[in-house]
Amino acid sequence: MHISFLIHNAYGIGGTIRTTYNLAEALAEQHDVEIVSVFRHREAPVFTPGPRVGMRHLVDLRPDGADSDHPELALPARVFPSADGRHKQYNALSDRRIAEYLATVDADVVVGTRPGLNVHLARQTRPGPVRVGQEHLTLDNHSTALRTTLRDAYPRLDALTTTTEADARSYRRSVRLPGVRVLAVPNPVPAPVIPPADGSGKWVVAVGRLAPVKRFDLLVRAFDKVRAQRPDWRLRIYGGGGQKGRLRSLIDEMGLYNHVYLMGPVHPIEQEWVKGAVAVATSSMESFGMTLVEAMRCGLPVVSTDCPHGPGEIIDDGVDGRLVEVNDVGAIAAGLLELIDDDALRQRMAHAALRASERFDPPRIAERHESLFAAVAARRGRRLGGRLRGTLHRTRGALLVGAYAVRDARRQAVGKGRSA
Amino acid sequence: MSATAPRAARAATGGLPGETGAADTAVAPRADCVADRAGGITFTVTGPGGTGPARLLLRLRGGERETGLPLTPDGAGRLRGVLPAGAELAEGRWDVHLQRADGAARRLVAGLQDLRALVDRVPADSRAPVAVRLPYTTKYGNLTVRSWLRAPHAEAGELRVGARELGVRGRVYGTSLTPDAYVEAADRAGVAPAARTGLDADGDVFRCAVPLGSPAPGIRDLWLRPAGEAGPRVRIARLLDDVADKKHIFAYPKVTLGTAHGAVLAGPYYTADNDLSIVVVAAG
Repeated sequence: MHISFLIHNAYGIGGTIRTTYNLAEALAEQHDVEIVSVFRHREAPVFTPGPRVGMRHLVDLRPDGADSDHPELALPARVFPSADGRHKQYNALSDRRIAEYLATVDADVVVGTRPGLNVHLARQTRPGPVRVGQEHLTLDNHSTALRTTLRDAYPRLDALTTTTEADARSYRRSVRLPGVRVLAVPNPVPAPVIPPADGSGKWVVAVGRLAPVKRFDLLVRAFDKVRAQRPDWRLRIYGGGGQKGRLRSLIDEMGLYNHVYLMGPVHPIEQEWVKGAVAVATSSMESFGMTLVEAMRCGLPVVSTDCPHGPGEIIDDGVDGRLVEVNDVGAIAAGLLELIDDDALRQRMAHAALRASERFDPPRIAERHESLFAAVAARRGRRLGGRLRGTLHRTRGALLVGAYAVRDARRQAVGKGRSA
Repeated sequence: MSATAPRAARAATGGLPGETGAADTAVAPRADCVADRAGGITFTVTGPGGTGPARLLLRLRGGERETGLPLTPDGAGRLRGVLPAGAELAEGRWDVHLQRADGAARRLVAGLQDLRALVDRVPADSRAPVAVRLPYTTKYGNLTVRSWLRAPHAEAGELRVGARELGVRGRVYGTSLTPDAYVEAADRAGVAPAARTGLDADGDVFRCAVPLGSPAPGIRDLWLRPAGEAGPRVRIARLLDDVADKKHIFAYPKVTLGTAHGAVLAGPYYTADNDLSIVVVAAG
């Protein structure tokens, strides 16, 4: 099949970008895959997609780019929903270019990667392609306004994927999506290209943006308790962000500057994970928890708060890591000390983490998306024409054009009514 | 930052045909590194240009010096070169280039750096010179090797910022601590006389408490005199780990002190060369 991913900006840094690259690369083993970036603001992407993945952009924001002085950049977006947190970055030009892309896209499957783009997809994709929306955040954390927008638009998707079962349950429970397949598929995380950690060092490693939701303040306080019992162990926190100054002050106030280090952002991060023996995450919320999987793939058992949504679906508590109470300094410290004080347990969990995290291998995750795409196309085919069986590659478009046209005429009518 | 770095970055990212966003970093030759415990580095070069004769060229910044390392095919389409632990590399920043038989040297983009063997490194031979080579990624994404070569060497460990003193725990390499040993805080501007602080020695490990507040605002560089005035003067530094630039990672609080020069803020920091100094600034 030909699969086209629509993404906000493929040239930046972030979980959605990395995930999309990994998934696109794995799907490209079998399929034609392209990543369409709404915006492009720099020459080279930070992450490098595989050579098989095509890349293009819709709006060129490079300083000397084709669109840098375009008058429509100054006009607000009308199709891209105002309730999406990135609305301010969108504009009349992006609206138009996305609409043109969706009206002409030559793909069997179109995949949106954020709520606002999924709305475009639902409303503007030409008759034919399967429309798949991806939720990389969670329904619970969207504003009421955005949830209302999604309730309106998402029924016109064919499928919606979330990164956790917990979030898929939220969608099934609280959004009426008749005929839309809602499926949880975790993010793919490739095996590191360097050997896993041997666990011999006495370092705890944490990775994440220095943002309030990560609660690194709790981690620093918890490490004060760890240090009191095991002064030979130390903590490295990798990542940058707005909390840096506060964390620095906290470390200094608590006299932890020989034990807790703010390492700054590092890429690729796997070379840092393997220096550790235990990984730790203290978030109050994780849409998925990619760093947990990355740590496990590098051979580290993870001590994580059991926060919504991802950690409980990633860590098998007591087997390949430890889940501890959210917002509880004592519980975090106790979880860390349990692994620090028991070398055999730590080694056992490290091995288990390596094995268990193989389930996130990109080819395995890509297979789940593939089956979803095929199932949705087949179901549409069966319901609408009953002629599609199994393979949908070349023949599908030709067979189903008429059926799609009917369905899409209805969609467009609805769309017109709503956008007026 | 060296004036050559921006040029190198442009060479690595510019002038490429085609318009596929990935080309820039994908086309430039790239080197992954693995450091070993003894101080050696293995480079693995991937990128365009085939597997013809080539070598790694390390150029010392701000100097004329170069060192070439042979590259051999590794059987998987890449080239491999080794900087042996015993190879002498003058202290400084060595920019790493790829030089093919027919062409000019091309700056290498930094790839993976597996430096796990350097974390908490303890040299096997405490009498030998300390040689540290740390591969790191420049702010333009290129590969450079930071080298230190010290004999003797005084390695700083835990620091303790007290109300009026800086506690330093360290270890000497390539020399011994005598009963005459002391630590010297030298005014970098050369105005104030150097201040001496006695130390406690336990084998090769020393502890001392350097007063923070008595001198005027300025920078004091900390030196160890393991054999007293008559012996060598050894800069106290933190070199034995995987962190190429310590200043912002090994960060310490400052204390406010009332001195004859008014209120000052004083505290330790690591210099651009990872040497230990004390900075004293007027408060407010």
